[in-house]
Amino acid sequence: MLPAMLPRHPVLDPAAAYPKIVTLRAALAAKDWPACREVLDAAEPVERTLLLRACADRAGIEEHLREVRAADPADGAAAVLLAQRLIADGWAARHTGGLLAARLAEAEPILIAAAARTPDDPAVWTARLTSARGLGLGVCEGRRRYDRLAEIDPHHLPGQSELVQQLTPRWGGTWADALAFARERAAAAPLGALNAVLVAEAHLEQALGEGGGTAAGARRHLAAPSVLAELSEAAAHSIQHPQFRRTHGWVQVLNTFAMAFCLAGEPHTARQMFEALDGLGSEYPWHYLGESAAGVIRSYRIRTAFARGGSS
Amino acid sequence: MIRQLEVDGVPTLLAPVSGPMHAGLVFRVGLADETPARRGITHLVEHLVLPGPAQVSSHLNSRTGIEHTYFHVQGSAERITGFLAEVCAALRRLPVDRLDGEKEILRSEAEGRVSDPLPMRRHGARDFGMPSYPEWGLDGLAAEHLHEWIARYFTRDNAALWVAGDELPEGLALDLPDGARQPAPAPSSALAQTPAAFTGAGERAAWDTVVRREARAAVFANVLERQLDRDLCRRSAIAAAVRTEYQPRAARTARITAFAEPLAGHRDAALGGLVDALAALQAGRVEADDVTTVVELTCDGLREAEERGGRLPGQAFNVLAGLSVRGLDDAIAEVRAVTAAEVAEVATAAYGAGLLMTPAGTHAGWAGYPVTPAESVPVSAGRVRRARGDRKLRLVHGDEGVSVVAGETVRTVRYDACAALLAWPDGARELIGDDGITVRVEPTLFRDGAVVTAEIDAHVPAAHRITMPAREPGSIPAPRRRLWAGTLVRPD
Repeated sequence: MLPAMLPRHPVLDPAAAYPKIVTLRAALAAKDWPACREVLDAAEPVERTLLLRACADRAGIEEHLREVRAADPADGAAAVLLAQRLIADGWAARHTGGLLAARLAEAEPILIAAAARTPDDPAVWTARLTSARGLGLGVCEGRRRYDRLAEIDPHHLPGQSELVQQLTPRWGGTWADALAFARERAAAAPLGALNAVLVAEAHLEQALGEGGGTAAGARRHLAAPSVLAELSEAAAHSIQHPQFRRTHGWVQVLNTFAMAFCLAGEPHTARQMFEALDGLGSEYPWHYLGESAAGVIRSYRIRTAFARGGSS
Repeated sequence: MIRQLEVDGVPTLLAPVSGPMHAGLVFRVGLADETPARRGITHLVEHLVLPGPAQVSSHLNSRTGIEHTYFHVQGSAERITGFLAEVCAALRRLPVDRLDGEKEILRSEAEGRVSDPLPMRRHGARDFGMPSYPEWGLDGLAAEHLHEWIARYFTRDNAALWVAGDELPEGLALDLPDGARQPAPAPSSALAQTPAAFTGAGERAAWDTVVRREARAAVFANVLERQLDRDLCRRSAIAAAVRTEYQPRAARTARITAFAEPLAGHRDAALGGLVDALAALQAGRVEADDVTTVVELTCDGLREAEERGGRLPGQAFNVLAGLSVRGLDDAIAEVRAVTAAEVAEVATAAYGAGLLMTPAGTHAGWAGYPVTPAESVPVSAGRVRRARGDRKLRLVHGDEGVSVVAGETVRTVRYDACAALLAWPDGARELIGDDGITVRVEPTLFRDGAVVTAEIDAHVPAAHRITMPAREPGSIPAPRRRLWAGTLVRPD
């Protein structure tokens, strides 16, 4: 049977799903910090953290943000955005000797100062989880920073995803640590919340890490009945639950589940997610499978579209 | 109420107490007056003066501190009179027959001691940096050195007495030699800038600072301890213990130290938590509740100390420093007046003067702390010797001093700023600069290394020389051999 309609070309820009990003980018481009703050201050905590991260790809905003900070050192949003911008810039050039280290060395003191002045800002601690990883400060320091975040918001998904990364062997942890944390935070989250995606993230990381980074290699781990059962339970707990709402972050969450089910050999389940996404994609986690995340999404979407069986 | 009296020319403080009577005789001398080659001399005098081991009990004690050395006794008026007479008599006729025995006792006392490198990094190998150094002087100290030391420091004019009791014991006499008041040395600095950081040798993360000596600074030290306890012990299980200490100095400054003993595998988190706590200080973030609690506890502590006579030693130290004696009411009023805003001001100043010691294997460069000590300047005129088998190691030596260049790092000790020379029988030498920087010369690693040893020996005065015990042959470094394995061993 042919799919009901031809899918759109995947759109990776998060602004496609979240119009506030468009407003924020425009205000940043106009160097209108009060307008930026208006958007940010009105946002929910997770939304605010993700808005700040979504604008980290805007080159050339650094000078303006430094001026904003100089005028008001207690402006946590400006500190986080500047630090995220520096980290993103360094990360993009991570293969250019020393640049990442130099950017992190500039970003971290900004975040230390922000944590000292506005210790209750979850976006600060989320950014500090990223910087701790880049600086190689180890699992125990990552956990300490997460503890600070959890005191403010025990369900702050962007920071939880950062800690899952930190807890993987790549950054000094173990698969068991990463999974245990993901399971624990997934179980603690309210029904319908996005947090259960942590289980899918942890399994994807392990599957790709142990499977040589290829889809075929990853399948061995993900298709195991126990893992598949866990993925299904996580989806049922979150995106398939009646109380699920398309709150900020939902696009990446659905993409993560979609990729997990694709690689686990469950195309009919993945197809439901692609249909719900209606062409909205995300870099993570598809970038693991190829240079162009959009190309990877398209090829998997086509495969699932023609998949037989399943519930639809 | 503290009364100010005089006993045989020694300024004396008398205050009534609720418990048993006690008294202490303090001299303005301590580790800060020593040099590396005489390190341990005050402690040795203290041990020799304290009556023999048979009499030592929990009611008798003595202590060598950084700026002060005291002898303390608790008991009846007769006991106090008798003890102080014995101390004075021993200072006049030092029981030098016990010299070797007491040296041995001091050596075994030192065995369990863990060195704190913060004083040396902050002040160098002199005055307030001396607590970081081992008692290197013990081996070379003879009776004549001790007599000189006593004549200079353990005199009537450099002493103060406190008596906790209703009145001075009858017959109390202090038969001490005449001398002169010896003010405490001014603290030197070995730090090019602060805040700064260095890597320690153990698990511990530590920090110290120097601030003005005042009630708000003492309150701050305790507020910081509460903050660290919250951050490192309660909110996350990172440290087994945290502690801060407030140490007033005669020079109207105070040293504040803080340390965190990390749980196994938590060095990075202990450092991270300490860095964050210090950043909060810089931002002047102080919990008002902490300040209120600490003020209350401090006032209670002062009242309790007053009843026991526990404030008397500090007041006697003040007398020796030419400062006025403060009554309990004044002290309490000063503490009561401390506000959270004032503590925040201290916090910011404390951060600015801070020195951070990170656990072994970690550093604080990521947090923006400059490393101390900064790079040395190599000696300008001198011969350069390359190490045998190690192209990266060079020695520059001449009339100015000695530099070791190991790869990119340069360490220099100049002879005009050389605090001590450690000399091993095998020819190895270690120069210790006034700034605490050390230069180790292993002559076995250099061609004609013995020439360098002789040159160093000729430049450093004998008084600065410390003879070290012979080393096991296995621990004397040997040049790395180049292996030409490829030409000798044929692959299978």
